[in-house]
Amino acid sequence: MSEDQTLPVEVTAIEQVTPLIKHFKLAALGGGALPAFSGGSHIIVVMRAATRIHRNPYSLLSSPQQLDRYEIGVRRMEESRGGSHFMHDQVKVGSRLEIAHPVNLFPLDKIARKHVLIAGGIGITPFLAHLDDLHDGRVPYEMHYSVRSPEHAAFLGRLEAREGGKVRLYCDSEGQAIDFDGLLSNQPLGTHIYICGPAGLIQRVTGTARSCGWPDSHVHWEQFAAPPVGDAFEVFLARARLTVHVPPDQSLLESIEAAGVEVPYLCRGGVCGFCQTRVLEVDGELLHNDHFLSDAERASAKSIMPCVSRARCKTLVLDL
Amino acid sequence: MLVTGIKSKPVYAPLRADIGGRYHLMLASGPGAAALLRVLGELQSSAPQAIGNTRVLMVPENSQAAAPFRRLRKLELSEFADTHALQGAFRKVLDESLMGTRLYVAGPESFIGLAMQIALEFDLNKDEIRAEEMGTLARRVYCVHCRTATEEVRTNIVRCTGCARWLLVRDHYSRRLAAYMGVMVDAEAPGELPAIKEVYL
Repeated sequence: MSEDQTLPVEVTAIEQVTPLIKHFKLAALGGGALPAFSGGSHIIVVMRAATRIHRNPYSLLSSPQQLDRYEIGVRRMEESRGGSHFMHDQVKVGSRLEIAHPVNLFPLDKIARKHVLIAGGIGITPFLAHLDDLHDGRVPYEMHYSVRSPEHAAFLGRLEAREGGKVRLYCDSEGQAIDFDGLLSNQPLGTHIYICGPAGLIQRVTGTARSCGWPDSHVHWEQFAAPPVGDAFEVFLARARLTVHVPPDQSLLESIEAAGVEVPYLCRGGVCGFCQTRVLEVDGELLHNDHFLSDAERASAKSIMPCVSRARCKTLVLDL
Repeated sequence: MLVTGIKSKPVYAPLRADIGGRYHLMLASGPGAAALLRVLGELQSSAPQAIGNTRVLMVPENSQAAAPFRRLRKLELSEFADTHALQGAFRKVLDESLMGTRLYVAGPESFIGLAMQIALEFDLNKDEIRAEEMGTLARRVYCVHCRTATEEVRTNIVRCTGCARWLLVRDHYSRRLAAYMGVMVDAEAPGELPAIKEVYL
């Protein structure tokens, strides 16, 4: 996605909702309606810091019916590469940001007979927009929200006001845990389950679902991987005839972009597969960090997701 | 006139047990019983306890057909006089079934199609359903003009039981309607019909 396809927005409100999460409201610069979106969509926020540009994906948590603003929740990451710290420390009411158009990689199944939503921590955000669609009560649903402790339960007031008894909260600090086996053993046919949260939660739920006989087509999850930090390496772009240095705290995609070469992308979090790039030559190991390629595709070393994956190698040649 | 290679025409494969499922729901009509016995045999050898979580609904071909099923004592077996009675029971069973259920269907294509149509109402996806075609190839044909389904069609051209138009039976299949599409064959030149042949036996 090129820079001219971004939308300029202005920050109109910021609220610290938990010790780690800030809630931002963004409006179109100059007012007016923002592009329509559906529940589960995310945007990319482009942050122009002093020395580099961050582009992070955030789920839209506001109502798809209200397009005068977009709302996002940003968790301050301990091991931030700078994006979440920039949002927390540099962005103020009145700050201007650029965002990419919303993209939905986490929609609800349209013909499901029931939805079970499971959120861990900041993973609550896409469900806030989904709940707006489930509100009419045509399809039954239940929501299970797991947090470290009560003060970390972001947006709980908003959930309880609207959803009443359909939301169950579990606090690690109180020793409360979701009984995944009980939950997944007793759902009627045609139920779909959705998980958003830390990798451990997603693995537990998908593993339990499989052992309870759930087919993959009824299990949905989303987790944006932050590009992990790693050793520096060099990449040669065959078509551009350019050698690019990838420093430890910058992703392959970011380094290629900084060198002036555009790669199409949608999520920048290893989920959508849009930035899949052909590997022409590699002398060493590709470090795949995405959730998109199959094990067989990883083993073949024929392609890489530059948004989150790196390499430990002497030579890496990409078809760019 | 007849388009071949239409992608909507269903493709079936021999039934195999899916031991990833927790419950097994099996439907058979007529000769389809043989396919179910094969799957039950597979379950017995790979996951014997699964027989206790298996339910069979069948329209037996004759008075002997259900005997091998009755010998599996942990199996829950229900027999029906005709497809219509089976479908009513099938809907009730689906309504009480839990996620983790795998559906197996064996029998003539029209029987499979009607079972799939009901399964679709319950949002069962491809990875939860298996079907094997056994028995007659007679088609259920949906008249695109009057919307009546004509059953047990064995010929390439058939008179619609609803509006009496002569219909060409196409390979175009609708999962939602569980039928092949039938379109008026002599609309341009009334009364001029191609040769009528028995092709779906």
